[in-house]
Amino acid sequence: MTASPAPTGPAVEIRDLRMRYGDRDVLRGVELEIQRGECLALLGPNGAGKTTTIEVLEGFRHRSDGHVRVLGEDPATASEAWRARLGIVIQQWRDHGRFRPLELLEHLRRFYDDPRGAAETLELVGLGDQATQPAGKLSGGQRRRLDVAMAILGRPDLLLLDEPTGGFDPAARHDFHELLRRLVSEEEVTVLLTTHDLAEAERLADRIAILVDGRVVRDATAGELAASLGREAEVRWRDERGRHAVRTEDPNRFVRELPIDVEDLEVRRATLEDVYLRTVREDEVTA
Amino acid sequence: MSGALGAGVDRARLELRMLLRSPRELWAQILGMVVVVVVAGRLADQAAPGGSVPMAWYVVSGFVAASLFFAGMLNVPQMVVAERDDGTVLRMRTLRGGLTAYLVGKLLFCAAVTVATVVGTLIAGTLATGMPLPSTVGDVAVLAWVVLLGFTAVTLLGAAIGTVLPNAREGMMYALLPAGVLFAISGVMFPVTAMPAAVQAVADAFPLKWMAQGIRAALLPDAALARQGTDGWQLPVVAAVLAAWCAVGALLAPLMLRRMARRESGSRLSARREAAEQKAAVVGR
Repeated sequence: MTASPAPTGPAVEIRDLRMRYGDRDVLRGVELEIQRGECLALLGPNGAGKTTTIEVLEGFRHRSDGHVRVLGEDPATASEAWRARLGIVIQQWRDHGRFRPLELLEHLRRFYDDPRGAAETLELVGLGDQATQPAGKLSGGQRRRLDVAMAILGRPDLLLLDEPTGGFDPAARHDFHELLRRLVSEEEVTVLLTTHDLAEAERLADRIAILVDGRVVRDATAGELAASLGREAEVRWRDERGRHAVRTEDPNRFVRELPIDVEDLEVRRATLEDVYLRTVREDEVTA
Repeated sequence: MSGALGAGVDRARLELRMLLRSPRELWAQILGMVVVVVVAGRLADQAAPGGSVPMAWYVVSGFVAASLFFAGMLNVPQMVVAERDDGTVLRMRTLRGGLTAYLVGKLLFCAAVTVATVVGTLIAGTLATGMPLPSTVGDVAVLAWVVLLGFTAVTLLGAAIGTVLPNAREGMMYALLPAGVLFAISGVMFPVTAMPAAVQAVADAFPLKWMAQGIRAALLPDAALARQGTDGWQLPVVAAVLAAWCAVGALLAPLMLRRMARRESGSRLSARREAAEQKAAVVGR
């Protein structure tokens, strides 16, 4: 039995993280901190360095430079006992395809001090009906749920989820969000997830960080991010000349001044998507 | 540590259960024994050249050695590559003592399959050819230690080889070629005396020849010694060469498995997968 050290300091601490492959800089000074019990979504275009960042935190990849602490330890030198406190979901897992989920979880329980029950964990991720079906025969979404089951089996302190809901149907996605929220609120698990689904990030994350070209260019709550575009909104309508969409700082006045016979009038506040797209484009230009 | 060992035993048990559950894989294991019955059965009446020992008995004894050897040099590397590429090795790395459990589980699983194969081949061979099973304590003991040392050597070597293969598909070719050459020059089915000295020296350096010779010592009557062209069965040499290869394997295998596991990550898995898919697409075109 190795008790977890008392939780002090942030769960994840990244300062000036740099990663260089050959003469290509993939990470160029990432700064990020995740407090214990916090859920942070890492957004960014493909190739921005999200997966590399997560792999450094997992200890699967050694950084070129910078300061990294995960649960108080340096992942590059941390022990196996440290890694047992992480729950890791990567996109590529197809392991143990011939094992049945129930027997696989029963087996993996042996590696933890205080694991969840195998059947209980399968129920948690909604795989109760697939407990005895070979893992290799599960659908893409079911397989990912099995990965999540393996990740939470050992009651980890930190979950590192690289696009955990890829291949999920809407219902499975909803259930997964419920599960994650429960883990964060009831068990105070710290979560870092990457996703391309902005609605998912908005719904789940306490904080959103946007990674562009190897740097964190925004780091704020979803609300703060949306507010950063000011009161700007998009007004859409249709009239005899066709469809229109206009961005304006003062949608109230703009709408009041529209002719009376417009149809399909719609006012959209700036969404996370707008912030995201603008951020990514701006930073790709200046980078 | 004991936790990792226990988990390794558990893995071996699960893998055996899965083998028994899968009719196709089970048949692949049994196929070798069927071949023994057919081939050896056809030769049952022919005496081997230059002696009174039936040719068929050589075939049975040779099959025991060959199945040991190929299980280690082909199946094991293929297993290692497949489980590296599907992420099993990476998963085990995320667990406390996971890699130790993985190694222990693999060794025990392979050992169990090997014992079943040897016993099955012997029984099938005896039924087909009338070859007596080893009956003296001495013969059984020789069989046991030759199989144990031979299995350990080739399994560990096979695991080490598996860690450097690019992918499962190509890996088989890389592993099959040297194994096939070695098989051809080692006189597995029948002792070879008419090889160029240089070729003989190569065969002498590798475990296969000595595994075959040790197993013949245990299974065949001493009358077979006449064909051997040597003074006695050279059991001390058999033991020395096999033990040496065990030592090499015991040194290499854990080292290289750990090195391979250390280099694994999610993006490495996908890079390798993409490369394999591209290659498959080119071949398929």
